[in-house]
Amino acid sequence: MRAERALLRIGECLVGLARRQLPRRGREERYREWLAELPAILHDPQTRPAAVRAVRMLGYAVDTPRGAVLTRIRARRPPGRGVTVIARALLAVGMYELTVGVWGVVLAPGEPLSYLRLAWGVLLVAYPVSLLVRSAWRVSTLIVTSQCLAGSAVNFWDAARAPADWVNYFNAAFLLLIVPALWIAIWITSRRSRARQA
Amino acid sequence: MRMTGPLERVLSAFLTDPVAPRYGYELMKAARLPSGTLYPLLARLERHRLVASAWETPQQEGQRPRKYYRLTGAGIRVARLELAEASARRQRPAARAVRPARESQG
Repeated sequence: MRAERALLRIGECLVGLARRQLPRRGREERYREWLAELPAILHDPQTRPAAVRAVRMLGYAVDTPRGAVLTRIRARRPPGRGVTVIARALLAVGMYELTVGVWGVVLAPGEPLSYLRLAWGVLLVAYPVSLLVRSAWRVSTLIVTSQCLAGSAVNFWDAARAPADWVNYFNAAFLLLIVPALWIAIWITSRRSRARQA
Repeated sequence: MRMTGPLERVLSAFLTDPVAPRYGYELMKAARLPSGTLYPLLARLERHRLVASAWETPQQEGQRPRKYYRLTGAGIRVARLELAEASARRQRPAARAVRPARESQG
């Protein structure tokens, strides 16, 4: 009996983790549903022996976070035609940057700038991919932020090498400005949606 | 709605008794799908109004109510149609492969 309770508690803990990943709409309902299934699996008369039931219950609970993430991703609207076109164009640019980055590393393995350019290329590819596969917005935000930081670092490096070239300063400042603008936009959007829900 | 293997299995599980209410775990067992695959599918089916869900009234005190799912009228029609189409699609390449052999025999 004590073991059963401990198992249920573990299952509830895992389902609790999954709950955080669920979209706000319908979160509590899905959470209650998952919680109610745990004892039902543990006491399923058709499954024997008890150890199999316990494993099934834990398997069920372990897989719920994946289900929560998939539910959240599928609940998002697919990107519009315009966004898809832009994402594909960005992907092409990212692939070019990535190739240049790899080539730069091959030519000058000791040059730190080549690695930065490579990192920027990877992020430039990752962002449109995350848009096209409708990944979670947090991941997309993280990718954009790191992309801007890596890009501005590349531009600062160029500026240090050619101090007279103002384009490098402009590019670095522009990329650095995107980060707070993005975070402010997210903050405003989440506040608005919270107010709407209230 | 795009027909996938897991979706086909869920619809088949529902269609064994189209009007019977089913719990998530019951569907998991019938369709042999893990919870991480089944619940997003059920959410999708609910969004398309092919499946309806409701909470049961607990039979014992302290028991958590469970949620059950049922195919809607439209769900039954769509499920039958989609499964028939999927089965026809599977049979078509086999039929194409058999035809030349028969012709060569004749």
